[in-house]
Amino acid sequence: MDALIVIFLSGLISLFVAFAKKPVYVLATASVGLVTAAVLLMNQWNTPCTLFSSYRGLDFNHSAIAYSLVAILFTFLSVLAGYKSFKEELEHTGDYVALYLFSLTGAMIMLSFTDMFMFFLGLEILSIPIYILAGTKRKDIKSSEASLKYFLMGAFATGILLFGIAWIYGATKSFNLNEIAMVINGEQNHSSLLFIGILLMMSAFLFKVGAAPFHFWSPDVYEGSPNIVTGFMASVVKLAAFGAFMKLFGMYFTGLYDFWAPALMCMAIVTMFVGNLSALTQVKFKRLLAYSSITHVGYALLTILSKDLMNEMNLLFYLFSYGFSVIALIVISMILNDEEDRLESFKGLAKRNPILGFIAVLSLLSLAGVPPLVGFFGKYLVFSSVFAQYPTLVIIAIINSGIGIYYYLKTVMTVVSKDQLAEPTVTLSVSLLQWVVLLLCAVGLLFGGCFIQYLG
Amino acid sequence: MEILLIPCLFALIALVVPSNFMRQFSLVGSLVSLAAACIRVSSFNSTKFEAITSEHVTNFGLTFKMGYDGMSLFMIILTNVITFLILLSNYNRELSSNRTFTSLVFFMQAALLGVFASFDGLLFYIFWELTLIPVFLIALWFGAPGNKAALMKFFIYTFVGSLAMLLSLFAIKSSAASFSHADLMAVELTAKSAYWIFGGFFIAFAIKIPLFPFHMWQPDTYTTSPMAGTMLLSALMLKMALYGMIRWMIPLAPEALAEMTYPVVLLGIIGVVYAGVLAIKQNDIKRLFAFASISHVGLIAAGAVLINHDNWTAVFIQMGNHSLVAVGLFLAADIIEQRSGKRTLSDLGGIAKVAPRFAFMFGALVLASISVPLSSGFIGEFLLLKGVFSYNWMIGVIAGTTLIVGAVYTLRAYQLSMYGAPKPAPFADLRPNEWLAFLIIMLLIVSFGVFPQSIINFVGPSVNNLIESINNTLVK
Repeated sequence: MDALIVIFLSGLISLFVAFAKKPVYVLATASVGLVTAAVLLMNQWNTPCTLFSSYRGLDFNHSAIAYSLVAILFTFLSVLAGYKSFKEELEHTGDYVALYLFSLTGAMIMLSFTDMFMFFLGLEILSIPIYILAGTKRKDIKSSEASLKYFLMGAFATGILLFGIAWIYGATKSFNLNEIAMVINGEQNHSSLLFIGILLMMSAFLFKVGAAPFHFWSPDVYEGSPNIVTGFMASVVKLAAFGAFMKLFGMYFTGLYDFWAPALMCMAIVTMFVGNLSALTQVKFKRLLAYSSITHVGYALLTILSKDLMNEMNLLFYLFSYGFSVIALIVISMILNDEEDRLESFKGLAKRNPILGFIAVLSLLSLAGVPPLVGFFGKYLVFSSVFAQYPTLVIIAIINSGIGIYYYLKTVMTVVSKDQLAEPTVTLSVSLLQWVVLLLCAVGLLFGGCFIQYLG
Repeated sequence: MEILLIPCLFALIALVVPSNFMRQFSLVGSLVSLAAACIRVSSFNSTKFEAITSEHVTNFGLTFKMGYDGMSLFMIILTNVITFLILLSNYNRELSSNRTFTSLVFFMQAALLGVFASFDGLLFYIFWELTLIPVFLIALWFGAPGNKAALMKFFIYTFVGSLAMLLSLFAIKSSAASFSHADLMAVELTAKSAYWIFGGFFIAFAIKIPLFPFHMWQPDTYTTSPMAGTMLLSALMLKMALYGMIRWMIPLAPEALAEMTYPVVLLGIIGVVYAGVLAIKQNDIKRLFAFASISHVGLIAAGAVLINHDNWTAVFIQMGNHSLVAVGLFLAADIIEQRSGKRTLSDLGGIAKVAPRFAFMFGALVLASISVPLSSGFIGEFLLLKGVFSYNWMIGVIAGTTLIVGAVYTLRAYQLSMYGAPKPAPFADLRPNEWLAFLIIMLLIVSFGVFPQSIINFVGPSVNNLIESINNTLVK
């Protein structure tokens, strides 16, 4: 709870610090805020705390703390990696950093809510800064398109979500999750309001995480947004949306599992195939990343379907492993700085800068799920937890991993190929902070698998 | 543990050694690993299992259980010997002073040793996949230009195969306590689930070996890889799959054997004949040896599913033999390609006149490859054919043609390249390092041909133990 306030305040302060026109101060404020928040959260591990004594709107239990810590980590990495580009627009450095922190505040509310009201609030606090951030490349028409598209689609999704909440309220007479769950588990004959409400909420969630058939916005938004915003969306926003999705459907709506599981299962299968098959022919890097992230959403949806006791942590580990790869790749694409964002700009990267090439290969192979990288363990946890219940679903997911290896490998080939696209004289400028982020990601990718021991 | 760590260490050091010392460094590195393995042999009791890691069960079933028995130690030594031979035969090539290359070879060695020393299913899978990356990079960076399509095919084929194995591991783990070999073996399967588990492993191994309908990636990959890459693929990577059949596929799902033995033997023998016939028609010498490799390993795979003591020891003898012969033959093919600039048989000829020492060594290897008596191949193939024959005499007769077909394509390659009118290109005879490599290979082949009992005594007890525990599972 204190952590939430600290993050919000550090966002607010960084807005004012920016008046000094010294971007370093902004960065320092944000870093101090994020680190303090992380420390506070860790201290609360054994003493769960709530918002007010009479109103339990937020509940930082173990899983919420774990999810929030990962969200803070990814936000920190995004801010560090993006600092170089924030700095260039001196007047807006504070705005950008503050928007990330506000968005993180929303994410943390979404990870710890105990009633629908807080959930909706969190979702909006998370989304609105992202709508703005997506459009921050103001001179680029694609960025404006991304922002507008994301806003319009997001607004519709929010509307549908609210509609769903209203129907559920109508059926259960409560916003509180425990009371809703009690109604769902307690009664035999549910009113049809409840079913419609759950379906509407599911659609809104599937939109937020970018699952088929609600995925059409994601390639355009990913492509148009500034690089680091794409990274933030793929890591933190996904984490928050999935955390809330898991909380509602994996814990509170389980009484109606038989009703929503078949629908979700179909969506998961469709999502995997749509993402993979569309990714095969992409020539732009961020579009490839967007489609590959759709596939990964498909895998992650499997954890919501599984009744495994550990599925909350499995999902977290999966998103954790995914986030490292995405952030590393996004930072590399920022460094390459190709106007048209062609996949070809990666050509010969291993030759131009071996360490960058190495990290790019690690991230791609981790996305493909090659052991012993962290992506393999993420996939392993997800697949093995679903296997007992739905072996066929795991077979389909594994077939999809097989399809996926094609485009990851093609990109790896581009990275390690001997010939280069650009003149070798053009050196790649990598800032110190970007190196820090990349090395952290590389360590995460190589040794993240060890964390699997501490789950549960 | 030092067995595994030494190559890792050398892989890291190789990245910073100055390139003038790289060749010497690489030889020293591989000899140190070999020496470490030999020290293990000196204190080895062939009836026992020796652990090299302390067991440490994690909450998702990975146990980090590593160690060796006779079979594993045999493969570990084979890996170290072959790595040494590969680096030795590469000594006078340009690549030998390349840092990345040397590092990748040591990395590959470490991963292979991990595969052979793993007694934990998930660990085995991790090392198994890990071998793919260095060999892929070696082939991509140092191979023939324009080999991308071939390598893509190779990587996708093997990766998809491994995913099938992963699925099998999931399936068997769902009713086991942990991934350790003993726990996985203890699982009692119904016949139906045993088929699926067996099938998943089989696809992974059949692609890697490769067996008949899964071999499409192999000739292209072998021909476009650099010499060392081809040697790693044929002499070591392939052995992982054969070893995996004996260590993992059969002990984990022996319930499926009753039904699956016949198809696997049949596929193996089809490969023997089919690849042999294709090899006769090849004009490219490297491609010819690639098909020859498919033909030889088909028989080994057939022997691996016919469980008894003789067949399994023969599998190990033949694996050793095939590794040595493969290194030798691909070295010979590379020498021919380097010196004359050609690989096509119709453009070659008369090399024996200008390079008599090479011709002698190549000739001796050709004889070993067609399993004449006194070579280790004779013992291995004889025992394997005997095994196949007693399983089903008709298949045995068909498998027997391998001896004739093998003689035809190997001798044809030898005759067309070595004899006949000399082509005017200059052809330098063997360099000292090549000579030494051939000599070591020949000595090993002949000594195991004369005294195969040494291998049989070495792997025999652990083969017996494994067969016994499989029979116990089946009786239950």
